[in-house]
Amino acid sequence: MIWLTWRQHRLQLLYGAVVLVILTVFLLSTGFGISAAFRSSGLAQCLSVPGRDCGAANDLFMGGGARYSGLWFTIPLFLIVPAMVGVFWGAPLVAREVEQGTHRLAWTQGVGRIRWAGTKVAALAAAALVGTASLAWILSWWSRPFVAASDNRFSPGVFDLRGIVPIAYALFALATGVAAGTLIRRTVPAMAATLGFYAAVRLGVELWLRPHLASPSTVSYPFFGTNPRSGLGDWVLSTKTLDGAGHLLGNGKVLDLNVLGSRCPGLPLPTESLPNKDALQACIRQLGLHVQSTYQPGSRYWTFQGIESAIFIALAVALVGLSLWWIRNRIA
Amino acid sequence: MTSALIATGVGKRYRRLWALRDCNIDIPDGRVVALVGPNGAGKTTLLHLAAGLLSPTVGTMRVLGRTPGRDVGLLADIGFVAQDVPLYRSFSVGDMLEFGRRTNSRWDHDLASTRIERARIDLDQRVGSLSGGQRAQVGLTLALAKRPRLLLLDEPLASLDPLARREFLQSLMGEVAEGELTVVLSSHLITDLERVCDHLIVLSASRTQVAGDIDGLLASHRIVVGPRREGAEVRGVGSVVQESHTDRQSTLLVRTDGPILDPAWAEQEIGLEELVLAYLGHPDATALPQPKLATAEAEVSP
Repeated sequence: MIWLTWRQHRLQLLYGAVVLVILTVFLLSTGFGISAAFRSSGLAQCLSVPGRDCGAANDLFMGGGARYSGLWFTIPLFLIVPAMVGVFWGAPLVAREVEQGTHRLAWTQGVGRIRWAGTKVAALAAAALVGTASLAWILSWWSRPFVAASDNRFSPGVFDLRGIVPIAYALFALATGVAAGTLIRRTVPAMAATLGFYAAVRLGVELWLRPHLASPSTVSYPFFGTNPRSGLGDWVLSTKTLDGAGHLLGNGKVLDLNVLGSRCPGLPLPTESLPNKDALQACIRQLGLHVQSTYQPGSRYWTFQGIESAIFIALAVALVGLSLWWIRNRIA
Repeated sequence: MTSALIATGVGKRYRRLWALRDCNIDIPDGRVVALVGPNGAGKTTLLHLAAGLLSPTVGTMRVLGRTPGRDVGLLADIGFVAQDVPLYRSFSVGDMLEFGRRTNSRWDHDLASTRIERARIDLDQRVGSLSGGQRAQVGLTLALAKRPRLLLLDEPLASLDPLARREFLQSLMGEVAEGELTVVLSSHLITDLERVCDHLIVLSASRTQVAGDIDGLLASHRIVVGPRREGAEVRGVGSVVQESHTDRQSTLLVRTDGPILDPAWAEQEIGLEELVLAYLGHPDATALPQPKLATAEAEVSP
C-alpha cells in the first residue's frame, strides 16, 4: 500500500518538495543578511537590555528604506502552504478515483477500502508533517529578528508560521481535502471547497477564538512612564487611557486636548496654539492619567501553540473519521 | 452442490428509485453464468452488491457463504472487473501488475506475467495507450491473478471488436477449464456469451425473470407452429411465453415438460437468443426454479 501511495502521488509529492526547496533557498539566502542587519543596526544589542528605548535602532532595521524591511511582508505568502497540502494532496485522494471509476478497482482488491484509504491518508500526513515541520523550523530562525523587533510573539503571520501550529494546520488541511473529495466526489469542486473551508476555520479561530484561549492579564502604568511589560513579546489585545478615577478618556495611548482642557481649568484650549508642556504635564499628573493594557503574556506562547495545535489536530481526526465512515458506507 | 452466490429478496434503492428489486438468485458453484438484461435492468447493481461495493437496501446477499461488504476477507476470493475496465491510466502495465501484487495477499505473479506475455502486451506500455482489447486483458489478468473463486465481469465485451471478443472469451475459457471457478458475465447481448456460458439469468425491469441451466432452459422451451388458433390450449404445454398469428397459422413459444402431444402442431427447437428476446418482450412471463426448493437443496446436499 505504501508503494501504491508513492506510485500514485509521487508527482504531487515532488511538486511539494520543489516548493519546499524554493522557499528554503529564499529563506536561507535572505536569513543571514537579516541576522547581520539585526546586529549591525544595534537593535539586537539594544533589545538585550530590558527597558531601553530602541526606537532609533528599530528604525534603522525595520524603517522605510532599510534593506530587509520589505521582506517582512513576504511572511503571509507562507500562510497558503498548508492550504495547498489540502487542495493538491487531500482533495484528489478519493475524488479523482471516483471520477475515473478506479475506486471500483482499488476497493475490490484484497486490502479493502478502509485500509486503502487509511494507509494513503497516513502516508500523506507523514509527508505533510515532515514538510511543514522543516519549513516552520527554518521560518522560526528566519523571522526571529522581525519578531524581536515587533515585540509581539503572537502577531498573525508570525504565530501561524512558527513552532508547531503549521504542522497542525497542514494535517487539518489534508483532512479537509480528503473529506471534501469524499463527500463531493469531484476533484475541482472539492479543491475549491477545501480552500474555502480551510480559510474559514483558520480565520474564525484566529480572529474569535485565539484571543480567548486563556483569560488575558491587565497592566497599568503612568501615562509618561514606561510599560513594564515591554520586551516580553506580549500580545496586546486592547489599550485604554484612563484618569485616576478610572474614567475612560480614550482608546489607545492618546491625549485628547479638548477633554484635558475641560478638566484642567488652567490649561488653554488648543484653538490657537499648543498648550505649554509644563501646564500639560501638571494637568496629566493632576488627573492621574494612566494607561491600561489587556494582553496575553509572551510566556504563554507555547501554551497557545499547544492548545491551537490540539484543536486543529482534533478537527483533522474528526474529518478523517468522517471520510472513512463515508467511504465505507456511502460510496460504490 | 453448493452455491457461489445466493440473493434472497435483494433490493437496492437510490433515494426513491429502485435499481434492483425483489431479486432471488441462486448460482451454483462452478458455473459460467450469463447475466443478461436490457440497459438499466440492474445487472451492474447486482454485480456491485456481489463484489461488496454496495450494500442491499433490503434482503440478504451471500457470496461463497459470506456477506459481501461487511466481510473484507471475502474480497480475496472475488475477482471483479467493473464496467469499462477501470485502470490507472498513468501506470505502466507492469505497474498495474505490481498494484495487484501489493494490494492482495494471494497473488499469482507467474500467471499474471504469462497472461500478459501471451496477449503480446508490453509491460512498459502505459495503460492510457492500450487498445480496448488490451485493456480488457489487463483487467481480466488482474482479477484472475488473485486466484479468485468467483469472477465477476461487468459488460466485459461491450467495447471490444469481434476479434478481440473472441480472443477475450478464449482466454477466459482457458482459465475456467483449469480451476473450480464460478464466473458471472453480464451483457445486454446473449450472442457473445452463448458459447461460453452454461447458466442463464435474465434480469428485466430490475427483477429476475429467467434463471437456470442453459441446457435445461433450451430443452424445456419449444417453438410450435400450427393452424391459427388464438388463445387455444395446446396439449402437453406448460405455458405460452409468446404467441404470434398470421391469417392462417399461429406460432407459439411454449414452455413444456415433455413432448408436444397435439399432432396438429409442428415442433421446432429454439435458440438461446430467441428465448431471451421472447422473455424480455414479455416481462410478465417467468421461468424460475422455486427459490425455497433451490436453497433447501443446496443446504441438504453434501
